[in-house]
Amino acid sequence: MRGEGRQMAVISFRRIVIARMIAIGIVFLLVAAGIYGLGLDPGMVGRLVVTSTFGTRFGLENLALYMTPLLLTGAAVWLALRAGLWNIGAEGQFLAGASAAAAIGLSGGANPALAGSPAAFMSSSLTLVLAMTASFLAGALWSALPAAGRAWLGVSEIITTLLMNFIALYMVYALVTGPWADKVTGAQMSSARIEVVLPAFAGAVHCGWPIALLAVAMLALLFRRSRFSYCLALCGSNPEAARYAGIDVGRHVFVTLLLSGGIAGIGGMIEVFGTVHRLQGGLANGYGYLGIVVALLARKSALALVPAALLMAIILNAGIVLQTVQVSASAVLAMTGLLVFAIAVADDYAAWSRSGRAS
Amino acid sequence: MYRALSESVSPAQPRPAGYPHGVPPLLALEGVSKYFPGVVANENVSLAFYPGEIHALLGENGAGKSTLMNIVTGLYRPDRGELVLDGYGVSFDGPDAAIAAGIGMVHQHFKLVPRFTIAENLALGRRDMRGILSRRKLVAFARREAEKYGFAFDVEARVETLSAPEQQRVEIVRVLGRGARLLILDEPTAVLGPSEVSELYAALRRFRADGGAVILISHKLEEIMALADRVTVLRRGRVVATHLAGSLSPQALVAEMIGHAPVEALPAPEPLAVDPDRETISLRDVTMRDESGRLRVHPVSCDIFRGEIFGIGGVTGNGQVALAEMLAGLRHPDTGRILVAGQDMTGRPVAAFVEMGIGYVPQDRLRQALAPALGATENAALRVFRTPPVGGRFLWNEDAATRYARLLIDEAGIALADPSRPVRGLSGGNQQRLVLARESRIASRFLVACYPGRGLDLGAMETMRSALVALRNTGRGVVLVSEDLDELLALSDRIAVMSGGQVKAILGRGEATREDIGALMSGHGSGSR
Ligand SMILES: Nc1ncnc2c1ncn2[C@@H]1O[C@H](COP(=O)(O)OP(=O)(O)OP(=O)(O)O)[C@@H](O)[C@H]1O
Ligand SMILES: [Mg+2]
Repeated sequence: MRGEGRQMAVISFRRIVIARMIAIGIVFLLVAAGIYGLGLDPGMVGRLVVTSTFGTRFGLENLALYMTPLLLTGAAVWLALRAGLWNIGAEGQFLAGASAAAAIGLSGGANPALAGSPAAFMSSSLTLVLAMTASFLAGALWSALPAAGRAWLGVSEIITTLLMNFIALYMVYALVTGPWADKVTGAQMSSARIEVVLPAFAGAVHCGWPIALLAVAMLALLFRRSRFSYCLALCGSNPEAARYAGIDVGRHVFVTLLLSGGIAGIGGMIEVFGTVHRLQGGLANGYGYLGIVVALLARKSALALVPAALLMAIILNAGIVLQTVQVSASAVLAMTGLLVFAIAVADDYAAWSRSGRAS
Repeated sequence: MYRALSESVSPAQPRPAGYPHGVPPLLALEGVSKYFPGVVANENVSLAFYPGEIHALLGENGAGKSTLMNIVTGLYRPDRGELVLDGYGVSFDGPDAAIAAGIGMVHQHFKLVPRFTIAENLALGRRDMRGILSRRKLVAFARREAEKYGFAFDVEARVETLSAPEQQRVEIVRVLGRGARLLILDEPTAVLGPSEVSELYAALRRFRADGGAVILISHKLEEIMALADRVTVLRRGRVVATHLAGSLSPQALVAEMIGHAPVEALPAPEPLAVDPDRETISLRDVTMRDESGRLRVHPVSCDIFRGEIFGIGGVTGNGQVALAEMLAGLRHPDTGRILVAGQDMTGRPVAAFVEMGIGYVPQDRLRQALAPALGATENAALRVFRTPPVGGRFLWNEDAATRYARLLIDEAGIALADPSRPVRGLSGGNQQRLVLARESRIASRFLVACYPGRGLDLGAMETMRSALVALRNTGRGVVLVSEDLDELLALSDRIAVMSGGQVKAILGRGEATREDIGALMSGHGSGSR
C-alpha cells in the first residue's frame, strides 16, 4: 500500500493517455541517451528511423506486415484476458496454426500447367480456405490441453500454455529439418516454398492485414453487445458468483482458451501464406510473446489493439534500422522491455490520486 | 512531536467511567475527514479511545464506520486531520505500521491463509518465529498462544476446514499475538451463533481487563448495551455524540443514529387464510453429501407453500445453507427429488430455478452474491442477464442494464451516483441491500434468503423484514435461514429446526417456544414431527 493516496476504482481514459505519453517520452529520452552512449548521434538515428519507417513506401509496407501477426496474437491474448486467463501460449498456437496451414499448402502443390486459369484460381482459393480453417483448428487444439486442465482441474494455464510453446517450437524444427526440409534450394531450417499465396492488398501488403483488422473489429463488436462477453467478465471477476448466476464457468474457460488459440493459429497461417511463404524455424519471431504486450497495452478495449500493434510494429521496424547502424538486435528487446515497464508504471500512477478525491 | 492533549479531545465526549484524569488516550482522532468521489465518508471526526474500554461505534449503513477504521489501521490516509497515539501525532504508511504500533483489526473477511494450519497462520509475521522451525516448536507455540487468550484449538487443522466462527477466533488470537493493544472488530457477531457470541464477549472482556482497548462496530443494540463502556454514534460521516453506555436508552440511541424517532417495530404478520392448492416447493426424500462424502443433509421431505414464511433455524453449519442451496438450484441433491409448482426440477440448472421465479440471497455477499470488482450495472444484471430487456440468447444491452441497475438502486435506498462504479466501494450494508432488491425482484414464486440481515443497520433490518412479510402477503413463499431466534419466531409461519444435517422438527406458529427450539438446535428434544 502506498502512502500518498489510494487507488481509484475507475480510471479515466484521459489520465491513462497522459500518463502513457509521459512514459513513452521518457523511454525515448532513455533510448536517445543510450544511442548517444554508443557514440552515435541520436538526432541522426532518430531521423533515420522516422524517414525509413514513415518516409518510404517500403517502410510503411513493413509496418503493415509486422502489424498483421501482432494484431492476431494480441487479439488472442486479449480475449483470454477478458475471462481473467493468461494465454502465454500464443507463440506455440501461432506455430501450430502455421504448421497445419503449411501441411495443406505443401500437399496441394499448384500445378504450373494451370497457372492463370480459372481452375487454378479455384484450387488456390480452396487451399487458402482450407489452410485457414486448419490453422484455426490447430491453434485451438494446441491450447485444448491447457484449456481443459484449467477449466476442470484448476491447473494454472500460465504454465501449461507456456510449456506448449516449446513443444510447438521443436515440432516445427523437426518438420523443417526432416520431412518438409527444403531440398530444392537447401535453405536451412525451412520447408519448401509454398506456391499458393494470399492475394495482395496494396503493394507488398497482402490481404492478411485487412483480415486481421477485420478480426479485431469483429471482436470489438462482439464485446460491445454480447451476452458472452458479460459472462466472461463475470467468470474472470468472481467464478463463485458466476456459478450463482447460472454460468457454466468451466465451459466458458475452455471455449475462451480454444478461441484464443484458434485466433493465434490463424495468425500463423497468414504469416506463412502472406509474408514468409515457407514454414521456418524462426517463423513466430516472438509474435506470440509480443501479443501479450499488445494485449496489455490495449487494456479493456479491443479497438485499442490496433494502435498497440502499430506501436509494437514501429519498434520492431526501428530495431531493423538500428541494426543498420550497428546497434545490436537485442537492443530492440531491451527497448520493448523498457517500454512495457514504463507503461505499467504509468498505468499504475494514473490509478493513484493524492487524496482519493479526484476522479 | 509531543502534543499535550489529554484533556482536550472534546468537552462533549465523556471519559470512560472511573477513568483517572491525566492519562492520555491510547489513540485519539482529531478532525479526521475522508472523501471519496461524490461521497463524504468521514467529516471532522474527533474521538478518543482509552486503554481498558470497549468503545462501540454505531451508525446506519454507509455512515462511515468501516472507512474510519480503515484510516485507523493505516489502509487509508485521512484527507484532513490526524491520529494521535499515546500523545504523539502519528501517520501510518500502511497496515504494517499500524500493527507495529499495536493496532490490530479483525476483518469481516478474515485475512488468514486457507491452506495453512492454524499454527502456521499464528506464526506468520511473528518476529519471534523466524527462521527454520520444527513442527514441534510450532505446535507448542500455537498452543501457548491459544491458551494465553483463552481458546482451545486443534492447532494442526487447516484453516480452510474451519467454520467461520472458528476462523474468527484464530484471527483474534493472531491479532492479539502480534501485540495489539487496540483491537478493532467490524461486525464480529454477524457470523456467530448465540453460544459463540458469549465466548467472544468473554474474550473481549478479558482483553479489556488486561488494559486493552476495543473498538466494536455493531448494528446490534443489545450487544452494545451488554458489552460496551462507551458508545459513539456516527451519522453521515460525522460524530453525533459519545455516551457512557447505560446512560442512554436503546430508543434514544436509535433516534440519534437515524436523526429522528424510530418507527414502530412491525407487528407479527397476520396468519393468512390457507388455500390448499397453493403452489409449493416440494422436497421428496432429498439428501446431499459434501465434497468429502459426508452426509450434509439427511433425508428430508417437506412442502414449502407460497404465502408462508418458512423459517429454518439451527446453529450455523448444521446443513441449513446446504438445504437452501438445493431449494435455489445451486446444488443438486444426491438422492430424492425437488418439485417446484408441480414441475420436477431435480438436477436442473440454476437458470431454470431463476426462470421459475426463485430468488436466492446467499450467505456471503462478497464471495458469492456479487462480483465486487464489477460495477453495480453488471451486478444488478447478475441473475437476469438472460432475459429481455437486459439480454437475450446472445445479446447484452448495456443501456437497459444500466436502467435496471438504477431501478434496483432506488428500490434498495442506496445513494450511488454512478452505477458503473465497482460495488466494492459500497458499504457492507448497502451491498446487502442491493442483493436483497435484486433477488426480491426475481422471486415471483419464492425467495430463499440465507441470513439476509447480515450487515444491515436497524432501519434497513426493519425494511428487510417488512419486505419479506410483504412478499408473503402477496402470495410469494419465503424461506428464511437465520440464526436469530427472535427474528424466526416473529416472522415465520413455520420453523424447521436443523441439527447435524437433520430436520429435527417443523413447528407451526404458536407451537414453538424459544426453549423448544434451543433444545432442538442443540440436538436434544423432539418436535411434533
Ligand atoms: N473504496 C471506496 N470507494 C468509494 N466509496 C467508498 C469506498 N469505501 C467506502 N465508500 C463510501 O463511503 C461511505 C461510507 O462507507 P463505510 O463502508 O465506511 O460505511 P459503514 O458505516 O461501514 O456502513 P455499513 O454499516 O453498511 O458497513 C459509503 O457511502 C461508501 O459508499
Ligand atoms: Mg462497514
